[in-house]
Amino acid sequence: MNFDMVIALLAASVQMGTPILYATLGEILTEKSGVLNLGVEGVMAVSALGAFVVAQATGQPWLGVLAGGACGVFMALLHAVACVVLLGNQVVSGLAVTILGLGLSSFMGQPFIGLSAPGFTPFAFPLLSDIPLVGDVFFRGDALVYLSYLLPFALWFFLQRTRLGLEIRAVGEEPEAALAAGLSAERLRMIATLAGGFLIGMGGAYLSLAYTHLWTNGLSGGRGWIAVALVIFAFWNPQRAIIGAYLFGGVMAFQLRLQATGSHISSSLLLMLPYLLTIVVLAASAARGRGDEAPAGLGVNTAPEE
Amino acid sequence: MIEEYRGFDIKSLQRPTPAPPKKTPLIRIRGLTKRFGSVEANKDVSLDIHPGRILALLGENGAGKSTLMSMLAGRLVPDEGFIEADGGKVRLESPAQAIALGVGMVYQHFTLVEAMTVAENVLLGQTDSFFVSPPHMKRRVAELATRFGLDIDPGARVADLSMGEKQRVEILKLLHRQSRVLILDEPTTVLTPAETRRLFDALWSMAAQGKAIVFISHKLEEVMAASDDVAILRKGRITAVMEKNDIRSKSDLARSMVGRDVILSVNKPPVELGEEVLGIDDLSGHGLKNVSLSVRRGEILALTGVAGNGQKALVEMVCGLETPPRRKLFILGERWRRFYARAPWKNALSYVPEDRKGLATAPNLDLVDNVLLTTRQGFVKGPWLMRSKAADATDGLILDYNVSPPRATALAKQLSGGNLQKLVLGRELYRGPRLIVAEQPTQGLDVSATEEVWTQLLKSREDAGVLLVTGDVNEALNLADRIAVIYRGEIMGVLDANDPSQVARIGPLMAGLAGTEE
Repeated sequence: MNFDMVIALLAASVQMGTPILYATLGEILTEKSGVLNLGVEGVMAVSALGAFVVAQATGQPWLGVLAGGACGVFMALLHAVACVVLLGNQVVSGLAVTILGLGLSSFMGQPFIGLSAPGFTPFAFPLLSDIPLVGDVFFRGDALVYLSYLLPFALWFFLQRTRLGLEIRAVGEEPEAALAAGLSAERLRMIATLAGGFLIGMGGAYLSLAYTHLWTNGLSGGRGWIAVALVIFAFWNPQRAIIGAYLFGGVMAFQLRLQATGSHISSSLLLMLPYLLTIVVLAASAARGRGDEAPAGLGVNTAPEE
Repeated sequence: MIEEYRGFDIKSLQRPTPAPPKKTPLIRIRGLTKRFGSVEANKDVSLDIHPGRILALLGENGAGKSTLMSMLAGRLVPDEGFIEADGGKVRLESPAQAIALGVGMVYQHFTLVEAMTVAENVLLGQTDSFFVSPPHMKRRVAELATRFGLDIDPGARVADLSMGEKQRVEILKLLHRQSRVLILDEPTTVLTPAETRRLFDALWSMAAQGKAIVFISHKLEEVMAASDDVAILRKGRITAVMEKNDIRSKSDLARSMVGRDVILSVNKPPVELGEEVLGIDDLSGHGLKNVSLSVRRGEILALTGVAGNGQKALVEMVCGLETPPRRKLFILGERWRRFYARAPWKNALSYVPEDRKGLATAPNLDLVDNVLLTTRQGFVKGPWLMRSKAADATDGLILDYNVSPPRATALAKQLSGGNLQKLVLGRELYRGPRLIVAEQPTQGLDVSATEEVWTQLLKSREDAGVLLVTGDVNEALNLADRIAVIYRGEIMGVLDANDPSQVARIGPLMAGLAGTEE
């Protein structure tokens, strides 16, 4: 493996990691408010289709991204109505959203299989792309990749430095305390879940508009589940999500390349690699005892005041 | 007699600035009544709260102190009566309305976000700008803390704080909301002596700056040290309101607090005494000091005192929840270790815990399963549980003890406190115990349930010795043959319940005064 191949692999890692990064950030925002949305996989699948259909119809990739985000909001709304408004079980509702989303996207996507849509193409970022190594790896991507560089910092700033972020964190940690402070848990959780759904939806849009420009079934390919695991890996910290997303992007890219070189290792085994890494990462996070970094109110429904 | 208060002399504490005279009250409570089902938690309570003064609300557990203040803080809505603030009637139907009026309460269970800083907790839901700046927040909270003498690091994470510091955060939250009336529910129970002292300093500082403080307590010394006025609640009614300077002695307070009137009396036929079923010989540790007691079959020994004086530790050791020191505790004539190595189901020890819903029963199981919790003998054949047999036995208990609803399939959580207690008592007596430990068996029960529980306990002493742990002197007088008074882990005296001259000493003994002083 020569140097150019390493650069290419790293650049591919960033590209593969970007949709996971969007989804992970969306899920971090959701979970910070105390809502566990296990439906990421389904949300991404529906958003990928929504983004594809709109971009194809309008010829506008950015409209496609917006549509992907909107689909994400819609799917998150289903979850939020079930858990935040009706106080249903968050795990069950999340699983239902996944199954519904996967089914919906393959059913509705049937007529689009094999069609292509205008999407995002890589371009060299002015100036920065000239930096040796760094420029080649990070600054020859597409617009959504560049946008994803800003998001973790924006999300961190939102959570730590704005009143709304503070309130969302409070309701995710100690819903009772937030209620005592006169905040509405329902409203805050709704905002966080829907905004998180928008980010997850952008991850889905990336799959159909930048990663491929084609529609095929099963585009999400388990990335939503990886995002759920990455939230724990990142200890709910948006900046750490970058590392996790690129690590997983790297493993996926590596596995594809290894298959392409005609390796004798069974492709089924290679396809398992990202999930094997997921288990290793989760076990390592648990062993380091950082599981208690989770928002204390995660998955706990807040009953209305008696 | 020198009052040594857990490391320092609490009597030496004194408000540094004199309390302002009573003028127009800030809050007038008029005729408040609150019922829970058929139980009247508060009955026709009227009380004035004055700015700049510290009012202690004194009463036993279950006297209705917290209920009364929860109505003022907007958590409960009164059934009758009204509250006036600034001379006009107000409706307080939510904590938010109370806070808007300037009334705030620090509950025993703190509502703080552990993962956030002190400053974030204080300002949560209070900042008006979209962006928040940690240095600015810290400065605001630090200013507030200094002004009222509440020493705290605004940047510290709440999870890293001591209970006393967390309490200061709760107080700061109220102060930041411009609260004029601060209510503290049993604030010292979670504090160390040094923290208690600092709390008092802060209370005095707040009072000196015109805040009205209401301080709920059942500890006489603290009330004497910290307050300007004392209101005594007993069985939901105000029995006395006095200025501290008018109080002659602590035993005065103790007497108004526990009262003497008999609401119920039950027939107490004498029973012949049998062998010793519980022997405690010079037991110390877990907050107890040289406790020696003996309970014989055929008698009820009441252990009475204000809650928190070591009763819990004693019960936990007797009932096997804590390990006592060796050779200090004897149950049914056996050493503690040997008894609990076997711990027979039948004809041994039965425990009726104070915590009916947590320790005594499993709320989500039905009554049959709840009966099976402690009584499996007779319901098993090899590894198999014979549930139908247990169901028959449960039906029998429900009938005998008048449990309502009379269905064995009801869940424990669907039963009222009184019915649950009757079931627990029935279950424990079903085991044919020779020693019964009953802890606050009638707390929170209505009159009829109380009477049934009393009757059963009296009947049970024909075959058993009973250790009755109660804070209710009336209950002790009605049931017990002998009364042991506990104070700060020490048995102050064991009195004959049938001798009026000895009975008169209960109040002073509960307050820690050796009966000579009156």
